[in-house]
Amino acid sequence: MNRISRREFLRGSAASLATLALTGAMTGVVSADEIEYGEGTITIWVADEVTEFTKTKAEEFLASNENYSGYTVSVESVGEGDAASNMITDVEAGADIYGFAQDQMARLVSAGALMELTGDYATFVAENNDSGAASAAMSGESTYAFPLTSDNGYFLYYDSTVITDPTTLEQILADCEAAGKGFYMEINSGWYQPAFFFGTGCTATYESDETGAFVGSDITYATDEGVVAFKKIIELAGSSAFYNGSSVGDATNAAAVVSGTWDSSAAKELFGDGYACAKLPTFTVDDTEYQMSGFGGFKLLGVKPQTEVGKAVVCMELAEYLTSAEVQLERYNEVGWGPSNIEAQADDAVQADEALSALAEQLAYTIPQGQYPDDFWTLSTSFGDDIIAGNYNDSSDEDLLAALTTFQETLQSYAG
Amino acid sequence: MSEKKGLSSSVSRGFTRFGRNLAEIGTTFKEGDWTAKLSFVIMGFGQLVHKQFLRGVLFLGLEILFIYYMATFGAAYLVKLPTLGTVETYVDKSGIVPITVYGDNSFLILLYGILTIFVIAAFIFIWRMNVGQQRQIQKLKEAGRPLPTSIQDLKSLLNEHFAATLLAIPNLGIFVFVILPIIFMICIAFTNYDANHQSPTNLFWWVGFENFKNLFSMGTSGYGSTFFTVLAWTLVWAFFATFLNFFLGLGVAIMINKKGIKFKKLWRTILVVTIAVPQFVSLLYMYKLFANDGLVNTWLLNLGIIKSYIPFWSNAMYARVLIILINVWIGIPYMMLMTTGILMNIPEDLYESARIDGANAWQMFRSITLPYMFFVLGPYLLTSFTGNLNNFNVIYLLTQGNPTSMSLSGGAGYTDLLITWLYKLTVNDTNYRMAAVIGIMVFAVTAIISLVVYRLLPSVRDEEGFQ
Repeated sequence: MNRISRREFLRGSAASLATLALTGAMTGVVSADEIEYGEGTITIWVADEVTEFTKTKAEEFLASNENYSGYTVSVESVGEGDAASNMITDVEAGADIYGFAQDQMARLVSAGALMELTGDYATFVAENNDSGAASAAMSGESTYAFPLTSDNGYFLYYDSTVITDPTTLEQILADCEAAGKGFYMEINSGWYQPAFFFGTGCTATYESDETGAFVGSDITYATDEGVVAFKKIIELAGSSAFYNGSSVGDATNAAAVVSGTWDSSAAKELFGDGYACAKLPTFTVDDTEYQMSGFGGFKLLGVKPQTEVGKAVVCMELAEYLTSAEVQLERYNEVGWGPSNIEAQADDAVQADEALSALAEQLAYTIPQGQYPDDFWTLSTSFGDDIIAGNYNDSSDEDLLAALTTFQETLQSYAG
Repeated sequence: MSEKKGLSSSVSRGFTRFGRNLAEIGTTFKEGDWTAKLSFVIMGFGQLVHKQFLRGVLFLGLEILFIYYMATFGAAYLVKLPTLGTVETYVDKSGIVPITVYGDNSFLILLYGILTIFVIAAFIFIWRMNVGQQRQIQKLKEAGRPLPTSIQDLKSLLNEHFAATLLAIPNLGIFVFVILPIIFMICIAFTNYDANHQSPTNLFWWVGFENFKNLFSMGTSGYGSTFFTVLAWTLVWAFFATFLNFFLGLGVAIMINKKGIKFKKLWRTILVVTIAVPQFVSLLYMYKLFANDGLVNTWLLNLGIIKSYIPFWSNAMYARVLIILINVWIGIPYMMLMTTGILMNIPEDLYESARIDGANAWQMFRSITLPYMFFVLGPYLLTSFTGNLNNFNVIYLLTQGNPTSMSLSGGAGYTDLLITWLYKLTVNDTNYRMAAVIGIMVFAVTAIISLVVYRLLPSVRDEEGFQ
């Protein structure tokens, strides 16, 4: 099961891709004498843990080609969330190259904070990354960023000394309740909530055009399947073992936490010898079993729109290099970020990683996260808050359907 | 009624003044010699001819500076101010890599357009001053008196006009850092500057009162019901945060102050220790303490008092009550210190005579202590009330305004104050247009309350009540 799904996940593995990735990065896709490279400073914003790593790699890259000798890099530690909002607030003062989580992409495109990838750069992204990552880097038919990681999804961390069977949600909750421990899942987040809705077969996707504007949506929450998922979330929220949260570091009484790879070291520390990872559990409503789904998410590296050709090319080349197979693998070895590059994913060390394995297994049940309007996340939080506050505890199926209809209509109103 | 009268009379006074100014400018031109007439166009000419070199050079210099500013910078922004720009940014994809060509920047047009209007106003003021001086020259000459020389002008700046010299830099600072941003923000409320209209990539433009209509519209897409929910909680919060703290702080102070209480200093110190910890630290750990998996819930669970944790922060009512209580805990020490000082100041003979008249403790508190307190602390209570209307820290550090709900729009939550909602709108949603409207509302609410309450304060109505 594990191997097959991962093979699916890593589909397409032509050996030529390796060379393509390297030549694309190192020699450049345009002949050097056509361009005046100029000089200046390239500012890069990346998460704190990879700041040093990125600085070393970027400097190596600039030193490797004498055309780039006029440039220096300045690498600053700015978290992915902050980077996106800073770029949106003031594009001109923002970094030339910056990492961000892909849920921010449409916002960034519509704020004019991302340079489009054309020609060979777009091909590089499409051919070297897993299909989810490649599609996450696109809005409409246009590619806007270089995939950096394919590990922005969630799965189950649990304490194997407490949880007897991590495959069903009911058993996990029963074990937690018996032990007086908690099951942590951030159900008031638009990112974790769909684990239930997508699991029962609902959809919620948006269509964005090349300007980052939302032009259409496909949301089917106001259905019988939606009510099933809704009922399960209400039931979960009513359990005495349930805690709303996803940060392992903040959990004080956890036996199981739904979170992502970024929490793996915190989870190892919290659960000690009991540390274990698994795909998300199944849940049962009215004797029917559903597999929890969710988003497969990605981190991307974007380039700010440039006004000078020389600098634009250097930034593109540098961003491409920083997301190449070689650098992604080194980054995995250094800080454990799961690669999006298919060649790097096939590496033995990556294959042996417990958390990444659980994630890969879970990814088979998820949908690749496309573009969502900012309001989607805000409204989902409100929806979740209403559930946690117990506003739906005594509701009939009709009431639930009515609430889902309002939810769906409001979500649909964000597009077009 | 009297307000209205005051307004209309000040308007008519303004018109009279304007008329008088025009008349004087006319007379100056009519009665002035050719140097005065030429000075209308070439500022400072008359002064230079009459050997007032400092004045002449200054006026001429300012005129040149003004023309230079308008020609190279201001005029371009000013003409675009009515539209806020028409040239769109586009991406040139013809080359090897897409290159962005920026068009008009609505943000800068608005900012520098407003600045230019002020520069023009300042120039008109200076021009009027110039004309006034022509008149002065003329009058002094007719009277056969000497004109002030440059040296005398300079000296006057250090003597009778020293105030103007001192205030020049602060005034400039206030203008650049306070007045200009405020006017800029007010203008934003009349534009569609939001996530879809962000400079420099997209233009934004004037939309009139659309945002205000949106704020008060009660439909599903409007902000109306959310605005009134948030406003009501803001007022309730400010009321409790101010008066609960005041009465409890006063109560604690009276208790500690009472004769016969031992270890007074110890009690005071214990309470004051909470001040020693920075507020944001204590607020953050309070948040953790009452989290669903926090200490309080864990203890209650372990003691078997509750079966399931109490959702302190996810239930709107619990969260609101808890915020007020935590604020009391933070606020009492300050209030206690302040009222202790005042309590010790109340003349003892007031109480003595009350006691002789047979008053009991409650009567003495109501008729002596409380009026005295209100008299002294009235202005403080007012400022602390308006401060609490905008008490960003406590709310944001404790709940971030959560819990949110689908029945509230704009991402607002049930514990959001107007000010934290404004913050969320700007930072999370880049919805500057609505944030600006809410900013104006915050100002309106604060201003109305302060003005009305200020007039009712005992210390204002009866200044000599306790002298």
